Amino acid sequence: MSSSVDTQGIDKVRDWILGRHPDRTELAPDVNIIENRLVDSLAFVELVYAIEDASGREIDFDAIDVEDFQSLATIERAFFS
Amino acid sequence: MHAVSYTAQWMAAARALESERDDALYTDPLARELAAPKGFELIERYEGGGLLPFISIRTKYLDDAISSALADGGIDQVVLIAAGMDTRAFRLDWPEDVTVYEADHGPLIEEKRRRLDALGAVPRTDRREVPADLTGPWMPELHKAGFDPSRPTLWVAEALTFFLTEEQAGELLRLLAAESAPGSRLAFDILGRALLRSPFSKPFLDQLAADGTPWIFGTDEPEEFVRAHGWKVTDLTEPGEPGAGEGRWPYQVQPRSRRGANRLWLISAESVAG
Repeated sequence: MSSSVDTQGIDKVRDWILGRHPDRTELAPDVNIIENRLVDSLAFVELVYAIEDASGREIDFDAIDVEDFQSLATIERAFFS
Repeated sequence: MHAVSYTAQWMAAARALESERDDALYTDPLARELAAPKGFELIERYEGGGLLPFISIRTKYLDDAISSALADGGIDQVVLIAAGMDTRAFRLDWPEDVTVYEADHGPLIEEKRRRLDALGAVPRTDRREVPADLTGPWMPELHKAGFDPSRPTLWVAEALTFFLTEEQAGELLRLLAAESAPGSRLAFDILGRALLRSPFSKPFLDQLAADGTPWIFGTDEPEEFVRAHGWKVTDLTEPGEPGAGEGRWPYQVQPRSRRGANRLWLISAESVAG
């Protein structure tokens, strides 16, 4: 697996989050997206779909670990490595 | 007051905020006075997660469901179950000769009456208070207030089923069905099961539980649940769909087939004979 493909994947996730917040232009990898309310509880399912689309991997809703979704860095580690 | 009464104040606060918007889905001029003392505090406490738009969209959906159910004149009695600080009897246009029953526990009804009297509020239809413990047998109280089970009824249960267990929610639907003459209807909401199990909802749900108002029941198969308890779904809508806050709902409406989606069901149903 080439690293450029991985980068593209997490970029898609970043773009999806930024797309919900037109006032923001940047999102650093370590920013906590839950505490900063960039993704709320109802939007989370859409984040999961966005990650699935970007990674090409299906995510098991019954085995979701919230820790994997704290920031772009944790998302990248969990779903794009 | 009971913790659930604070929930009624929270709903009133949400309706007050909706009423003050330029693009308000409805106007409830009494809501602000009914929200005290805790309503606005709870708005802040439970902020986020689409709650405010959901409360507004649900209220509007049920307003519309009421007007649609009464339109052909076949129904002239409406029962608001766990009415809380609902002011529909004061703010909707009611056809002539409609009786509206508001069932809730006694202390809440008294407090609501005290505030409405102080405001000089006048109901726009025949409004009857039904003080009752909805966790016990409350139909006798409804009958005492004048309810006639031989005539078709519209039952409205707003923001109620998620406070019940699945068994209690099923029993409630069965009880309403048993008291329903042919042609009766039911308008209410059910939460999605995935929503209540989502780890992302957990902090909010834990907070509600700690505050004494846990959200318990939800299903992702509302048609089956309703059918299993004496009713047939005639309309099933989710927030964000046409006619249900389209443009106001900050989330995508997910196709029914999508796994894991957070559902909020707005439901109209008709009673099934037998």
